[in-house]
Amino acid sequence: MIRLEDIWRTFVMGDQSLHALQAVTETFAAGEHVAIIGPSGSGKSTLLNILGCLDKPTRGQYFFDGRAIESLDPDELAQLRLNEIGFIFQAFHLVPRLDATANIELPMTLAGVARKERSERARAALESVGLGDRAGHRPAELSGGQKQRVAIARAISMQPRLLLADEPTGNLDTHSGEQILDLLDGLNQEGITLAVVTHDPEVARRAQRVLEMRDGEIVRRISADEVSDANPIFDRGRVGKRP
Amino acid sequence: MKPEDTFGYAVNALIQQPRRAGLSLLGVVIGVVAVIFLTALGEGARLYVTEQFQTLGTDVIVVIPGKTETTGMMPGFTGTPNDLTLDDAEALLRRIPEAILIAPISMGNDTVSYQNKSRQVVVLGSTPAFFELRGIPIARGSGLPEGDIDRGANVAVLGKETAEELFAEENPVGKSIRIGEWRIRVIGVNGPRGTHLGQNLDLVTIVPVATGMRMFNRTSLFRIMIELRPGSDIEAVKEKIEAVILDRHNEVDVTCMTPDAVIESLSAIVGTLTLVLVGIAAISLSVAGIGIMNVMLVAVSERRAEIGLLKAIGATHRQVLLVFLMESLLISTTGALVGLGIGFATIHVVTWMYPAMPAEAPIWAVFSVLALSVVAGVFFGVLPARRAMRLDPIIALSSKG
Repeated sequence: MIRLEDIWRTFVMGDQSLHALQAVTETFAAGEHVAIIGPSGSGKSTLLNILGCLDKPTRGQYFFDGRAIESLDPDELAQLRLNEIGFIFQAFHLVPRLDATANIELPMTLAGVARKERSERARAALESVGLGDRAGHRPAELSGGQKQRVAIARAISMQPRLLLADEPTGNLDTHSGEQILDLLDGLNQEGITLAVVTHDPEVARRAQRVLEMRDGEIVRRISADEVSDANPIFDRGRVGKRP
Repeated sequence: MKPEDTFGYAVNALIQQPRRAGLSLLGVVIGVVAVIFLTALGEGARLYVTEQFQTLGTDVIVVIPGKTETTGMMPGFTGTPNDLTLDDAEALLRRIPEAILIAPISMGNDTVSYQNKSRQVVVLGSTPAFFELRGIPIARGSGLPEGDIDRGANVAVLGKETAEELFAEENPVGKSIRIGEWRIRVIGVNGPRGTHLGQNLDLVTIVPVATGMRMFNRTSLFRIMIELRPGSDIEAVKEKIEAVILDRHNEVDVTCMTPDAVIESLSAIVGTLTLVLVGIAAISLSVAGIGIMNVMLVAVSERRAEIGLLKAIGATHRQVLLVFLMESLLISTTGALVGLGIGFATIHVVTWMYPAMPAEAPIWAVFSVLALSVVAGVFFGVLPARRAMRLDPIIALSSKG
């Protein structure tokens, strides 16, 4: 479904250029569950941003379903994000003034879905993440785990084919984190392609494939069984930060 | 994104910051109230003037001694023109066939007294034609006597209020009063007429024009009012009047004023005033607009994460722009509507408290205020909205929020 060919992403800072991604070539099959691991600054988040069409590679080709992303204009990219891609963030990024339902409806609102259909679909999404009784609650009235479940409901409200999660359990306790991971596994089993960036070996072990990154390159492709707790790459660090 | 959803989203964002939205709204409200109230006063003045002159009829020419064009000053205050005399008035009556009424007028100020009561009044000298021309009814007795205008009888017609003040319940007709040193017999009392052309006709005392001129030692008339047959060519008549005066004075040392010309020049003054008001409006709305811009810039920087999220989940540049433009537009148009409401309420209160004060907001002001508020909302909202639109979603999402 996704093909990356020799992707480079270079940031120029003063007279220095920094290669956040170097010669990344990778294929993601439809329905796959892939974890991307690596130390802070290894390029995991940059790779995720490029997969989510929030960022464009400096060099190289990205094909989504055979369409070259490079040739799409900003509106077509927005359209692609709206219809095909769902995002889940470590910081949830719910709009604080909107209740759970309105947050879930947001992508459908952008898509121009009629009000009635929106609220029906939002209710169904909310129930599918087990929060049917929290429809009118604002983010401030929800626990971290509940917030992330609302965020997942929002991400799947447009029935995307690709779900991108950046440290989805990073701000959660173990129990809530497991609930979130179970939800994501369930969605993956229903056929959604899942890419998760994580520091947490527990999260990585749930994937079918694990990409280990270092200095902007994919240095290892391993299976979930090979992920070890002792792996020095699992140091703690801030997520979503640019190198 | 459906328009009503953009609207709803913007409303929701604004009501979460009621104080901030309210304060920026207040700026617009104050500007709009000022504009509406001031233009209402200007328009009121214009309507008042127009109405006053329209009751005079449009077929009226007022001949005033002195020439405006030569000095650029108000007629009547210029140099030393030849006297405008009763003979001139008679000549005009003879030689202008279109004239159906000619009222020569003299004017002065003096004390009118009866027994121990006295009052300072305007004493107008004229002819019976004056009553007809100015539409003054006779309540008691008779008007001025017809006949030779050079013969000034010592008689007077009192204004309604003057008569009430001096005579109370007594019938003034036939009584003898004093005007200055002159002993005058009251032959009639005006009915109510009120203020007309800036003169309270209920307060004036009217005497025969020759009497009035003698009383105040005048050799020249104050003015001559001429009513023309309806449908007369006013310009042609003006030329005829000037020809008659040229014949008699060897120069055209009078000014012919028509109500139309007066209304026109007064309208020009009101027009200038209106321009000034529009200027004030533009300034106050600009200030209010800058207030909106400031609030929106703060909102954009506070809601960076929200903007980043919107972009990440598939909002186009246009949608982000419209959401924020809608917010500034809502502030400005709501402010305009509230301001219109308060402005009209103020006008009502003022005209209720001071019924004599004419105030009426012109419809064009209402529409321009609405149009200007839309323009201001968009104009001052574009910069913040574009800033939101251009935010890099990756950076915006990594910011706290």
